[in-house]
Amino acid sequence: MLDWSFIGRYASFFVNGAWMTLFISVFGIALAIVTGVVCAAIQTARIPVLRQLVAVYIEVSRNTPLLVQLYFLYFGLPKLGFVWSAEMCAIIGLGFLGGSYMAESMRAGLQAVPQIQRENAYMLGFNRRQTLVHVVIPQAISVSTPGLVANVIFLIKESSVVSAIALADVMYMAKDLMGITYDTYEALFMLIVTYLIILLPISILGTWLERRFDYARR
Amino acid sequence: MTETTERTGRDDTIALKVTDLKKHYADAERNVFDGISFEVPKGKVLVIVGPSGSGKSTLLRAIAGLEPIQGGTIALDGTVIETGRPGNEKSGRVKRSEELRTKFGMVFQSYDLFPNKDVLGNITMAPLLVQKRKKDEVEREALELLERVHLADRAHAKPHELSGGQRQRVAICRALILHPEILLLDEITAALDPEMVHEVLEVVVELADAGQTMLIVTHEMSFARAIADRVILLADGRIEERSADAEEFFTHPKTERAREFLHSFDFVRHRDAQAERELREFDAQ
Ligand SMILES: Nc1ncnc2c1ncn2[C@@H]1O[C@H](COP(=O)(O)OP(=O)(O)O)[C@@H](O)[C@H]1O
Ligand SMILES: [Mg+2]
Repeated sequence: MLDWSFIGRYASFFVNGAWMTLFISVFGIALAIVTGVVCAAIQTARIPVLRQLVAVYIEVSRNTPLLVQLYFLYFGLPKLGFVWSAEMCAIIGLGFLGGSYMAESMRAGLQAVPQIQRENAYMLGFNRRQTLVHVVIPQAISVSTPGLVANVIFLIKESSVVSAIALADVMYMAKDLMGITYDTYEALFMLIVTYLIILLPISILGTWLERRFDYARR
Repeated sequence: MTETTERTGRDDTIALKVTDLKKHYADAERNVFDGISFEVPKGKVLVIVGPSGSGKSTLLRAIAGLEPIQGGTIALDGTVIETGRPGNEKSGRVKRSEELRTKFGMVFQSYDLFPNKDVLGNITMAPLLVQKRKKDEVEREALELLERVHLADRAHAKPHELSGGQRQRVAICRALILHPEILLLDEITAALDPEMVHEVLEVVVELADAGQTMLIVTHEMSFARAIADRVILLADGRIEERSADAEEFFTHPKTERAREFLHSFDFVRHRDAQAERELREFDAQ
C-alpha cells in the first residue's frame, strides 16, 4: 500500500518541481511558438535561401532527441565558449524542438485555406495585410488549433528531460526522493499526479479552443 | 455580330470592353483564347454559354484580375485597365488598386463565405475595411440587401447554418454592397441542389430588372433565355456565335455549333418514336 504520510511530507518538493516544469515549459513553448510563426511565414512566403534554412532546421529539430539537444547546449556549447545556465539551455532546447512542430502545424493550417478565399478577398478589395489578418489567419487557426494544442502538451511532457541537466523539475524531484527515501511507489504516484494536475486543465482548455475555432461545428 | 458600331475612343454606354484577349496558362500546350473581343453595355446582361472546358471561367477570372492575360486589352467604363503582355503566365493575381478591384463583383460556383463571420459580417467586412464607411450606414445597407434576397431574418446566422442557395444569395449581397460596375457570375447554381437553383436565379433576374450590369456564365438555359440581353457561345476558346437577340439565339441559332450545343440540353426518348410508329401501324390496321 501507498504510504500516504509521504505525500504530506514531500508535497512541497513536487510543488516546487511543478513550478520549475511550468517555468521552463512556458518560456520554452513561447519560444517555440515564435520560432514556429517565423518559420511558417518564411515557408508560406517562399522566401528563397531562408526557406531552405528553415527546411534544414525542421529536419534537424525533429530528428534529434531533446536529450541530445540539451547535452549539446549544456555540455557542448561551453567548449565553444558559450556558457548558458541550465534554465536557459532547457528553454532554448524546448524552443528549438518545439519550433519545428509548431511551424508544421501552422503551415498545415495556412495551406488548408482554400485559394478561393484569397480570391474573394482580392475581389472585395482587401490589401495583403487585411487578407492575412481577416481572412487567412482566422481560417488557418481553425485547422491548426488541434495540432498546436497537441504540441503544447507534448512539449510539457518532453520537459521532463531537463532533469538530465540537473534542473529541479518534477521529474528531478521524484528521482531525487526515490534515491533518498526508497519510497519508489509513492514518488512515482506523486509524479504522475503532478503531471496530470498540470496537463489536464491544458487538455480541457485545448478542447475548448478547438471548438471555439471550429467554424463549421460551433 | 454585335449591332453597336465599333467606334474608337470613349463610349459611355459600354461598361466592359474586351478586345483581342489572349490567354495562355503556364505549361499548357495552347492558348485558351487566341484573341476574343466583346463588350457589355451598361445596365445589360451578357450571358456566356458553352461546353465545359471552353474557357468560360478563365474569361471571367481574367476580367476579374485573378488571371494575368497575355494579349489584348480590358477596358472598364471606357478606360483600359489592363493590357496583356506575353510571358506573364506565372505572375498570379494581377496588381490592381483596391478601388479598381471593387468595381468587379464576382460570385463563384462554390459557395464560400468567410466561415468565421456571420452573414452580416460577411457582407459588411469589405465596406468597413476597404472603403472605411460608417458602421451603422453599412449595416443598414446590408440589411436592405438581405431583405432583397429574402434573408433578412438570417443576418446573424453563421455560414454553416445556411443552405447552399442561401449562401449564394449572401455571396451576391457581399458583392453588391460595393456597388460594382459589373457583376461576374460563374455558374453560381452549378453546385446547388436542384430545388435551390430557382431561389438564387430569381434574385439575379431581379438584379437585371434593376439595371445591374452583369456578365453571366450559366448552364441553366431557361434562365439564360429569360435574362440575357446578349448571348455568346464560347467553344474551344472561340466565340462561335454571338447574338444581341437572346430569344432568337435560343430558338433559331445561326450556327451548327450553337444548334448542337443547345440540342445537348434536350432529351429525346427514342423508344417513344418506336412506340409511336407501332401505334400508327396499329391504327392503320
Ligand atoms: N489553372 C489552370 N492551368 C492550366 N490550364 C487550365 C487552368 N484552368 C483551366 N485550364 C484549362 O483551360 C481551359 C478552359 O478552362 P475553363 O476556363 O475552366 O473552362 P470552363 O469554365 O468553360 O469549363 C480548359 O482546357 C482547362 O483545362
Ligand atoms: Mg467553369
